[in-house]
Amino acid sequence: MKQLSVQGVEMVYEVPRGEPVHALSNVTFDLEAGRLLTLLGPSGCGKTTLLNILAGFLAPTGGSVTLGGDPITGPGQERGMVFQQGALFEWLTVEKNIAFGPAMNKADKDETSARVQELLEVVGLRGFGDKMVYELSGGMQQRVALARCLANDPDVILMDEPLGALDALTREKMQSLILDLWRETGKTIILVTHSVEEALYLGDQLFVMAPRPGRVERTYELPFAAKAADVDAREMKASPEFIEKREEILSLIWEMEEEIMGRGEVA
Amino acid sequence: MSLGYGAGVGDEDSLDLADKSGPFSTAGFFRSRRGSDRKTVTFGDSSAVRSAPLWSLFSLIAMLLLWWVTTTAWGMPEPWASMDVSDSERITLCNKDDACGRDAYTQLASPLTFPSIRDTWNAFGTLFDEGFANDTLWAHTAASLWRVIRGMFWGIVFGVPIGFAMGLSSRARGFFDTPVELLRPIPPLALLPLFILIFGIGDGTAMRLLIFASIWIMIIAARSGVQTANLSKVRAAYSLGASKWQVLRRVLLPNALPELFTGIRVALGVSWGTLVAAELVGAREGLGAMIFAARPFFRLDVVVAGIIVIAILGVVMDLLLRFLESRLIPWRGKG
Repeated sequence: MKQLSVQGVEMVYEVPRGEPVHALSNVTFDLEAGRLLTLLGPSGCGKTTLLNILAGFLAPTGGSVTLGGDPITGPGQERGMVFQQGALFEWLTVEKNIAFGPAMNKADKDETSARVQELLEVVGLRGFGDKMVYELSGGMQQRVALARCLANDPDVILMDEPLGALDALTREKMQSLILDLWRETGKTIILVTHSVEEALYLGDQLFVMAPRPGRVERTYELPFAAKAADVDAREMKASPEFIEKREEILSLIWEMEEEIMGRGEVA
Repeated sequence: MSLGYGAGVGDEDSLDLADKSGPFSTAGFFRSRRGSDRKTVTFGDSSAVRSAPLWSLFSLIAMLLLWWVTTTAWGMPEPWASMDVSDSERITLCNKDDACGRDAYTQLASPLTFPSIRDTWNAFGTLFDEGFANDTLWAHTAASLWRVIRGMFWGIVFGVPIGFAMGLSSRARGFFDTPVELLRPIPPLALLPLFILIFGIGDGTAMRLLIFASIWIMIIAARSGVQTANLSKVRAAYSLGASKWQVLRRVLLPNALPELFTGIRVALGVSWGTLVAAELVGAREGLGAMIFAARPFFRLDVVVAGIIVIAILGVVMDLLLRFLESRLIPWRGKG
């Protein structure tokens, strides 16, 4: 497994007739293989920009990003991506969606179909392989997206608000699924979310990011994800330590929001 | 006593009825006719507006009735007799002032301005068996269809790659924008005289005109098909290891299919409309050529028969394409 290294990453967007937007400023961190990092922050803090840089969809204006020592210059299959929604290929069946990556690599057909069946099992979609993706619910579609990403056996899985479009109940189930997958596969996962609870529950490491310029404001090492296998999810989220952390982070984010609003008034 | 009892039962019955049908009676009546929903707001709700087949049938009958009244029923009974007059006789008849005058006077539309239903029906028989202008109706229809298919084929073959290029590359967009935007608004028929001068009268001219009619529509359809591709889909494909070519072939092309199909339907409609006019002067066989050949002989029955075939074929082709679309692109609108 490869270590992800982010060194002094800067991202500045030029705006016609306006001050350049500093989307990311001096973001530096190393992420050991097999960790689950959640990125949390108010809108405009650059968390999605950072994820897109890691995925290779954007080139930073400064600094360097490497995975296992190799610089990231574009998208690659060692870094899988799960989007919020709309990224499945609706003209393909569930099976063919999952087999898309191996098909692009001209992988052996029998091997691929065995792998697809295995993945359907893993994400809890056994028997749904022949369905078209638009016949599935939103939660099931995200399961397909996870399976499609896993089919290529990436080193790092990047998730951009993967559960953002789901209803509360489905969301909780999917959180458990993501934790199960993380434990079983040992993949490095970076997950962007708006939900403080989700960031706390899923992350074994959490970055709270701040806007203007976008930066990592505070980092946390969290115990909850590691314990999730033994403790019921609701019980965990209702535990005093969880609530304490949740309120701490919430008030931190509120401070940032108020600061933004205050600046807005002055300007 | 028994009577009173009976009346009581009757009262209860009517009470029951009143209860069931009281405030909801009219709603229930409309519900049973309009489906199972109980919407109170339907004016402006497009999902509450459906096609009413009974009314479509009614309008068809009304059209036929209008045709019948103006060409046949008006001024009865003389027109009934004149129905059996052959065309050559009719022309001779018309040369005698009184006969022609009577005809025109007693009928709102005389056989010389619009043929009756019966004449047209008979014309179909003749057209199928003997044909007109050297060919049977089948041959004329086949010639027209074949011409449209070839025109559309080349329109798609040239148009789709250009449209894709415009959707994928700024240089291609810049380069093709000028000719596309300048040539697109030209009605194809405005070019007919020019085409005839350059390519002469014949099959090739009509087909080139059809290519011109369909290519711009296909370019725009392909361009917008590429542009509407969800960025997440494209990025997902790259992250899964797809090359540019694979993204084009496996993501952008299937993603553009619904738009392309819409383009094909629109282009077919325009081509079909352009075709007949193009054939009027540009071809020896085809439905348009047949109609044009019939005009100097006052064979209005043939003209109208040809028009009916054109109308029906237009509808049939559109239905066929819609059927194909539901089969080939079941995911349409579900992305």
